[in-house]
Amino acid sequence: MGCSASLPDRSSSGRLVGPNSENGGASDAKNLRVKLVLLGDSGVGKSCIVLRFVRGQFDPTSKVTVGASFLSQTIALQDSTTVKFEIWDTAGQERYAALAPLYYRGAAVAVIVYDITSPESFNKAQYWVKELQKHGSPDIVLALVGNKADLHEKREVPVQDGIEYAEKNGMFFIETSAKTADNINQLFEEIAKRLPRPAISSTQNP
Amino acid sequence: MENADVFLGLQDFLERMRQPTAADFVKSIKSFIVSFSNNAPDPERDSAAVQDFFAQMEMDFRAHPLWAGCSEEELDSAGEGLEKYVMTKLFPRVFASVPDDVKLDDQLYEKMALVQQFIRPENLDIKPTFQNETSWLLAQKELQKINMYKAPRDKLVCILNCCKVINNLLLNASVASNENPPGADEFLPVLIYVTLKANPPQLHSNLLYIQRYRRQSRLVGETAYFFTNMLSVESFISNIDAKSISMDETEFEKNMETARALLSGLSTDLDSQYNQSGQYAGYVHRSESMEPRHQPLNANKDSAQPKSSERKSRAKNIPYGAKDNLSFSKIPSLSDLEDKGATILVNDDKASQVFREYPYLFAHVGDLTLNDVEDLLNNYKQLVFKYVCLSKGLGVAAPSLPVSSSQTEFHQHAETAKKQDHSRAIEPNDEVSNDSNRNDGSLEPNDEASNDTNRKDDGSIKEPLIDLDNLQSLLSQDQAVAPQGGKHEESSQ
Repeated sequence: MGCSASLPDRSSSGRLVGPNSENGGASDAKNLRVKLVLLGDSGVGKSCIVLRFVRGQFDPTSKVTVGASFLSQTIALQDSTTVKFEIWDTAGQERYAALAPLYYRGAAVAVIVYDITSPESFNKAQYWVKELQKHGSPDIVLALVGNKADLHEKREVPVQDGIEYAEKNGMFFIETSAKTADNINQLFEEIAKRLPRPAISSTQNP
Repeated sequence: MENADVFLGLQDFLERMRQPTAADFVKSIKSFIVSFSNNAPDPERDSAAVQDFFAQMEMDFRAHPLWAGCSEEELDSAGEGLEKYVMTKLFPRVFASVPDDVKLDDQLYEKMALVQQFIRPENLDIKPTFQNETSWLLAQKELQKINMYKAPRDKLVCILNCCKVINNLLLNASVASNENPPGADEFLPVLIYVTLKANPPQLHSNLLYIQRYRRQSRLVGETAYFFTNMLSVESFISNIDAKSISMDETEFEKNMETARALLSGLSTDLDSQYNQSGQYAGYVHRSESMEPRHQPLNANKDSAQPKSSERKSRAKNIPYGAKDNLSFSKIPSLSDLEDKGATILVNDDKASQVFREYPYLFAHVGDLTLNDVEDLLNNYKQLVFKYVCLSKGLGVAAPSLPVSSSQTEFHQHAETAKKQDHSRAIEPNDEVSNDSNRNDGSLEPNDEASNDTNRKDDGSIKEPLIDLDNLQSLLSQDQAVAPQGGKHEESSQ
């Protein structure tokens, strides 16, 4: 069911790259190591997006995935730099909202996810955008993601609403489907391109 | 991720410290440790000093002929060895060293002791599919080990192992129920629940200690993520109120009151109760004071004769014990339950799903390989825990294992069985739930503990045994450095 259903999509331009040395942790200009935090209501498919991204490029049998709350994945860009994303999932239930700052502290990227069939989750996404603008790192890259784009017939948040909101707030916007893998790799590649290169190393301190 | 092979590297590090050319390192380490004995505790300054010292030493290792041509892994192990040695020495000085932290520890402990008595998985948004309280005991057990260790990495490993157990259980549950793989929406609530039930003493101080003294460059990636989850668990629990667990305000207050009455009633009546007839009398008393409906159970529990060894059970264990009362209600006996369960299974066409948790149930000897041993052992342990806990919950003595008053003690007993010869080693662990951290036992008992504990449960990390004896004899003159720990350490040299 859901995000784990279909086979890996290898058509992406993101090439599989071996992970950086585990204990090194150093980013240099060519090999960035980036903390990415996922925010959004529970049930919008945050962890499915990540699993699709990570498993879609790995042979699903080659790696035992122990849950999807933390995953890392390295992609190579055309300018021969690599970006290793360390992806931090957060609990989306309302009662845990106050804990989010612990997770997005020091994050270079925040991906804010909503479900295109749930206006409520779109409102929640806007709440997170405001919160991050106020309390996130000043140079944090923000992405707004409308997930479950395969569910056209149930759509309640028009594409235009997402586009306009993102534009107004200077964010990258994309609609994805973790189920069909649509736009999943594009999302992370686009984020990688938008990373401020020289400043990255300063985001590595926990 | 934490390196499972760090053990060999640490041995190697200690070997290197024995070389004559390492004399300068040994001297630096000694004088750094000594420098701490002269100042009053100041967490900010101490933490910065330790981090700087580690960084400097790691740079020096890298440049020294002793490590010429060595891999990054070996250098990393050297850093680990250094951290473990230094922090084990400094532990009595820097752990829970300021009154504010001690106070917060007590507040958190009390809060958890109260809330654990009435919290339900639903209060935290744990979906029924993912509820598995019996197996969560395994995760609780990992977390409860945190006070058995002094080195920041070892404490951190307890947290990581707890998280791994939870992740494995969630993953199994998601596969069995065809749900999406679990993410943070599922993970965090379970970690909160497990922490509440485990209620490890001095949790606040443990987390601060890891944050301050775990080498910063190694608190990254997945490790940092799970550690952050633990910080967020602490924050959530400290702030638990009616709203945060979706409980009616008056119901929440009532629950807290009941829990408080239960705990305070226990602590005043406790000594006499225990001295007279052991803990089961205490149990009966507790259930009565809480809910009259537990009364029919008394007969059952009275029939379970307390063992003399249980008398050492202390007041601090009550929160765990008290909680267990909640599950007592209306259950007749173990064999009745067994019969009932068997009947249900026979009539249940989904019975085979139930047994999925036990993959070896239908295996033949010829099917097994050596690799299955670890798995089998884990399965066995899980079963024993379940069985003994269930028996205990009923107040019936389990046949082949000691019955104890709390989960904590139960786990300790399980480990005790292996360590009968090391009574000295057991003592600090038995006091885990109270004051082990201020009880500065010798290094050896703790190291034995780290060797004996079941680090490999559920694929968790194997704990390295560090032979600090070697380094200790090298550094024997620094006894003055750790006066509080002196008496044990001297006797061990």
